[in-house]
Amino acid sequence: MDYFWIDEERELRKTYSDLLNDLRRKRYSYSYIYFDNPYEIILEIIHSLIQGRTVELLDSDFSTTEIANLGIEKSELKKYESASVRLTSISDLYASIEKGKLTWKIGIYTSGTTGRPKKVYHTFNSITRNIKIGDKFRGNVWAFAYNPTHFAGLQVLLQALMNMNPMVYIFESKKDRIESLLKKYRVTNISATPTFYKMIIPVLKNPVDSVRRVTFGGERFDNTILKMIKTSFPNAKIRNIYASTEAGSLFTAEGDVFVIPEKITKFVKIQPDGELLIHASLLGQSNDFSLDNDWYHTGDIVEKVDERSFKFVSRKTEMINVGGYKINPNEVEEVIKQIDGIIDVQVTARQNRLTGNILVAKIVSAPGISKELLEKKILEHVSRTLQRWKIPRIFQFVDKVEITRTGKKVRQ
Amino acid sequence: MEEKILEIINSLLAKKNSLQLEQLDPELSFWDDLGLDSLDMAELTVKIEDEFGIDIFEDSFVYKVSDVIKKLSRSE
Repeated sequence: MDYFWIDEERELRKTYSDLLNDLRRKRYSYSYIYFDNPYEIILEIIHSLIQGRTVELLDSDFSTTEIANLGIEKSELKKYESASVRLTSISDLYASIEKGKLTWKIGIYTSGTTGRPKKVYHTFNSITRNIKIGDKFRGNVWAFAYNPTHFAGLQVLLQALMNMNPMVYIFESKKDRIESLLKKYRVTNISATPTFYKMIIPVLKNPVDSVRRVTFGGERFDNTILKMIKTSFPNAKIRNIYASTEAGSLFTAEGDVFVIPEKITKFVKIQPDGELLIHASLLGQSNDFSLDNDWYHTGDIVEKVDERSFKFVSRKTEMINVGGYKINPNEVEEVIKQIDGIIDVQVTARQNRLTGNILVAKIVSAPGISKELLEKKILEHVSRTLQRWKIPRIFQFVDKVEITRTGKKVRQ
Repeated sequence: MEEKILEIINSLLAKKNSLQLEQLDPELSFWDDLGLDSLDMAELTVKIEDEFGIDIFEDSFVYKVSDVIKKLSRSE
């Protein structure tokens, strides 16, 4: 059977013919994709793709406040009637994609440097820049281990769809079921963040021989995990990928040295201070980009190895990476400041080997307020207003928050 | 040591409105039995590091409560 989507937690096993049926049956569309069930998310994405229309992806755990902060009205989230699609065979599906992809656009939100998330539109071409299609990839089976509303998830979806591969959704699976899922469906390809691998590796009791390709994305790669990956997936080639919501997937590395593909060398520049710049022509479309003569500052500090390769050294911006999610500490501070009894707050990063960083909130509280109660109040408020990974995990009550001479908070 | 680990785990469970553990069962898995996710585990790691000076994810990974107890006893 030609499986398309397997989500055992939700007892969903969809074949490619089921996909055709589900697409044919659709009578409604959405401008904003805001669902809990990942299958509904990808169905709506594919529907928009074959119709060549523009959609925007919202994380299913966005709160009403976060959605309002994006400038989206509640009424805009509603469904509307749309023309039905004519698909009689799988080849119709791919012919419709070929046509639809010319006008299709998909909007993704990412943490902006200003405190407000920025919206980036991608086209079929900008997402599929590094996607490979061909007979060689026809037999692949993908583990789907990303949030389907994020760029990396979208890439796995299109890579699998364009080669008619099955996807096995393991992103929310119970960890001790993952080995049996990988074996049952003979998964050949996994792409995930280092944090995800660190969670599943201890649970893999025996090597999974079917896996041929293991890809890391979303965070800085750390070498401690490499040996264990090789033990768990003895037949896999390991690859590291550099991608961002702004620019899509750009570079890959077999170890920690990233290679700039020849066709984009002209569009990649390394500044004297080591910052990596990307030319506007490689970016998605956004009104929120601040460009410097058509060059986009990535905030990544790299070290040149030779003319066409580099290693990552550090980050220049204030953004904090928690398990592959970029967070602007200013956004979190703004939300905490809304609470009575808070005089000042500073959100910083505390490093750890599992998620890279977690957030620490340093709080200056008004005199006479119980710190325990205040911490509880803050947690309640941020849990209502922010996504889980934007919630500070450690609270420290301090007398004052350190500020630099230019008035910026010291985060290091 | 075990008491402190129990206290840290219970502080995480309290945040998730989950039932408190009365005692530490080494066989419990953090993810599947206690329902912790990577963010909870990162917090646990940092709190254990502050308390015992040991990074439990330094050279291998952690699945069960017993993995943490072993790592901390080895360095005592």
